Amino acid sequence: MSLHDAIRLTEILLGFAFTLQSIEHLKSFSNERFLFMPRLILAVLLIIGFHTAWVVFLLFLLSLAILNRFQGPYNGGADRMGLLILCCLCLVHLAPTLRWQEIAFGYLAIQLVLSYFISGWVKVVNPEWRNGLALNDVFMFSAYPVSESLREWAKSPDVLFYVSWAVILFELVFPLALLSPTSLTIALGIAAAFHFSNACFFGLNRFFWVWISAYPAIIWFQFRFFTAG
Amino acid sequence: MLHTLKLLLPAIVPSWRFFDFIAPSPRIQFALLNGVDEAPHEWHEFRPRPAHLSFRQMLGRMIWNPRWNESLFLVSCAERLMEFPTQHSEDEILKRIMAELKSHSLATNVMTATHLQFRLLVIKRQDSQLQHSVTFHSRVQPLSGQKLE
Repeated sequence: MSLHDAIRLTEILLGFAFTLQSIEHLKSFSNERFLFMPRLILAVLLIIGFHTAWVVFLLFLLSLAILNRFQGPYNGGADRMGLLILCCLCLVHLAPTLRWQEIAFGYLAIQLVLSYFISGWVKVVNPEWRNGLALNDVFMFSAYPVSESLREWAKSPDVLFYVSWAVILFELVFPLALLSPTSLTIALGIAAAFHFSNACFFGLNRFFWVWISAYPAIIWFQFRFFTAG
Repeated sequence: MLHTLKLLLPAIVPSWRFFDFIAPSPRIQFALLNGVDEAPHEWHEFRPRPAHLSFRQMLGRMIWNPRWNESLFLVSCAERLMEFPTQHSEDEILKRIMAELKSHSLATNVMTATHLQFRLLVIKRQDSQLQHSVTFHSRVQPLSGQKLE
């Protein structure tokens, strides 16, 4: 995938993610509609590719206003990833040379790798993750399970032990996926399935759409630095 | 401006420490009062989760999930209140409870209370037992006359 194609695909996917997010606020309070109606319009413009450099810059400014409105991200890590992608796209459009464009977009790819690897690392050094108790706590009393019936999983500690280790190992070995296009394709498929299950079990649908928006960056990065040489 | 940049920095240089440990989990409970001085005696959980969600409903929430995403924002506000109480977090929770009560009372026309208060009930595991403790009480908020935007 060429740099240009990867950037354009990221813009389309991010525009779609922002469109879904923005529509959710249109029935909310007036001071939220005031921020999310323009965001919706800009997101659609980003999808269709209308003056993308300006649209990305305006979306970034609007995101700062939204950050200020909620005194932080509205939906934690998902909003932060959206902002990171926007920042990188802004820098790509501001970059004076191809080299600087690659550095800005490569930063996004590296952060995507780190998002999995560091998440795995902080779990593997925690004994409660290693013995499955942490995931048990998520199902037993955290605010995330979307229904009471999902809390029943806390009664299956053996299953949660193996699921914990599956998540930890996948996150830790994710950087190795960069070694070949095939391994990256498989890893991104598993990662997307992981985000999908988090969306189903914990209602984290925004993570799913925002994270896959960054996938073109890592696909380009793998081709540029590991396959093309 | 400096404050906004402080909020932006964790997005540009993220820590990515998702679920590194499972923190005590807050629940928002509210009480309806008939006067500013009335002591709350019945607390209701705000937006209790449904008993069951079908896979089809979960799929639908992949693209349309405003109520749950707002609830996640309120969890963030509750966590902020536990760490460093701010007027902003308290206002956000109060106004969203009020909005929900308003839509409910319009539908059922049964609301007679004049004031509202919420509290945070924190749940954590101590050894193998779950412990519940109340960590925060909001101010008593009139249900009409004052608009929180």
